[in-house]
Amino acid sequence: MTDPLKDSPVKAVQVEALVVMKLVNHAAKTFPTVATGSLVGMESAKQPGLLEITSCFPFPTIDVPATDGHQQESAANLAAAAPRAKANVVYQNEMIKFLREVNVDANNVGWYTSTSMGNFVHLNTIENQFFYQKEMNERTVALVHDVSRSSQGSLSLRAYRLSPAFVAAYKEGKFTTESLQKSGLRYQDILVELPVTIHNSHLLTPLLHQLPSDAPKEELSFPPNLAALQQDPNTPLPPLFPNYDSLDLSIDPFLEKTCDLLLESIENHHTELNNHSYYQRSLAREQAKITAWQQKRKAENAARTASKQPLLPEDEWQRLFKLPQEPNRLETLLNSRQVEQYARQVDGFTAGVSAKMFAVKSNLLPGE
Amino acid sequence: MADKDTFLHLARPLGPAPIGAQPSTAPVSVVIQPQAIFSILDHALRRPSDQDRVIGTLLGTRSEDGTEVEIRNCYAVPHTETAEQVEVDMDYQKQMLALHLRANPREVLVGWYATSSELNTFSALIQNFYGQQGDGTWPHPAVHLTVSTVPGQEIESRTYISAPIGVTAERAADSCLFIPVPHELKYGEAEKSGLELISSAKDREDRSQPIITDLEALERAVEHVLDMLERVSNYVNNVLDEEAEPSSALGQFLMNALSLAPKVDPSDIERDFNNHIQDVLVVSYLANTIRTQIDLSNRLATAALTLGTGDALTGEGGQRDGDRQQGGRGGRGGGGRGRQQRQQEA
Repeated sequence: MTDPLKDSPVKAVQVEALVVMKLVNHAAKTFPTVATGSLVGMESAKQPGLLEITSCFPFPTIDVPATDGHQQESAANLAAAAPRAKANVVYQNEMIKFLREVNVDANNVGWYTSTSMGNFVHLNTIENQFFYQKEMNERTVALVHDVSRSSQGSLSLRAYRLSPAFVAAYKEGKFTTESLQKSGLRYQDILVELPVTIHNSHLLTPLLHQLPSDAPKEELSFPPNLAALQQDPNTPLPPLFPNYDSLDLSIDPFLEKTCDLLLESIENHHTELNNHSYYQRSLAREQAKITAWQQKRKAENAARTASKQPLLPEDEWQRLFKLPQEPNRLETLLNSRQVEQYARQVDGFTAGVSAKMFAVKSNLLPGE
Repeated sequence: MADKDTFLHLARPLGPAPIGAQPSTAPVSVVIQPQAIFSILDHALRRPSDQDRVIGTLLGTRSEDGTEVEIRNCYAVPHTETAEQVEVDMDYQKQMLALHLRANPREVLVGWYATSSELNTFSALIQNFYGQQGDGTWPHPAVHLTVSTVPGQEIESRTYISAPIGVTAERAADSCLFIPVPHELKYGEAEKSGLELISSAKDREDRSQPIITDLEALERAVEHVLDMLERVSNYVNNVLDEEAEPSSALGQFLMNALSLAPKVDPSDIERDFNNHIQDVLVVSYLANTIRTQIDLSNRLATAALTLGTGDALTGEGGQRDGDRQQGGRGGRGGGGRGRQQRQQEA
């Protein structure tokens, strides 16, 4: 696949500042539970293929009394599965109906989810996006906001769609070695990432220029002492941009967490592989049995021909033996994609942290 | 945009309200989250062309004694206004409130907003609607937020609560006294990264900004810091050359800042630096190796069949592949754990 975006109806995503704020707020409020919601917007009239997301709203929270570990898990699962829950589809339609009355672009264009450390490639995400993208030309995207990564520097917001090849395969629901070979589907091709841009409205721009207030323009008199300097009301607040938080040196916890998650994914991969090799072994065993049975039947038939008796059917083995079902390879594919995600994340972290470390070193050891 | 106005609240004559049902008119302080302002501005842009202002409902939280209100969210409510009358879609307001409360059960109705700074008779009517008993904010006062949205001018926001006024009950129903209350715009830690990206587009012609990577953000922050250092050192040099006026307070402040630099032995730095950078690089290397191995493993898993000639053979082939992968991965897993420990030591 040379250009995965070529045959997709959506080529880029433009997110309104309001959506970013709502999403970030909602995700931060429910963290560490997954926050999900619906996106509304429309396709740009000027630029076909550009999807404008102009508003969003959260899905209702599902209150499951979290008393023990098992129930907490089910609550998290419910939250992650919210976008395709029936009650939420009703909620979404109702909300969109109301939004239309106040001139909001009332088309559903996808859903959003929050995640922690890039841990979003799992069956729930796939099923949700598939739910929204069932029709081939459905213009819907999944916006993924990474809460943990955003807290340590720049905002992490990504838009994904399922690739057409994957949608076709998922519709059939078959993920066997054979079908994968035929379709040539690789784990890299499951999700297609779309470029995201942030867009501000005309009214927002002056507000942002007011925020936070600039340093006073006129000459100020010098403060008489240190205390006066520190309490000076004219001290400008640190600007929103660039964010000095990204200069923070303590990145190791993030690296460590990603490594933990990476190991976890590898364990999963291990389990999947074990399942698969178990399947291979039992398949081989069954096949050996069938061959033995066929040979026996052949010998018997040969003996019957010799004694001029009617022959026994040779395809009876299909009834007698049952070949084991091949385990679904979808889980393996998703897991591989997740590992790739983590590995890239580690790459990103190391790029940042090594640059910072060299800066610190030359700062502490000038002249070297 | 934090309001620096000061307010003086005086006792005032109270309107004719039944005793015991008097709503509180104690001054409140209001905190507005940027999300609400963004939403109001969005609504102002989408107003019908024949309307000067649009209104909506404010949602948020109220402190226990009701003196602090935090506006977190809002939604638009359709209304029509002519010279003689105003009409607010109360049914819409009620249903939308119910929908919002389902998603955010902790938020309550706190008041309403309008997208013009003007206060008129209709404002009083709507204010009384929002502050009424039953569906309104009673016994707390409804907060009224005005955001001016005149193109080309600064965006100005004001907050008010109201007190009943008027001599007869009929007069009191459609008039009220708006009392300005202080408010400030506050953003939380979580919103900072979002605001950062949004405001990075403020100086651009097309008002849009692609998502920046961590490295780019770092680069810009470093550039900014270098810029500020430059300014400070310029000032210090000017003072040394007796061109700028010296200030002992500034000098002391700079001294304090400089003395924060840790005193460490160069060899220690060298050693720690090398240890740490090696750890980091090993993690990166291993992560990339894992990625390659996973790719390889996936390719082998689907390539096995094409190599074989018969069913039985492929079964074995696949099995061998599986074993090989397991062996390789076991080693990798071990390596990963080792590196984890090293990381914790570092």
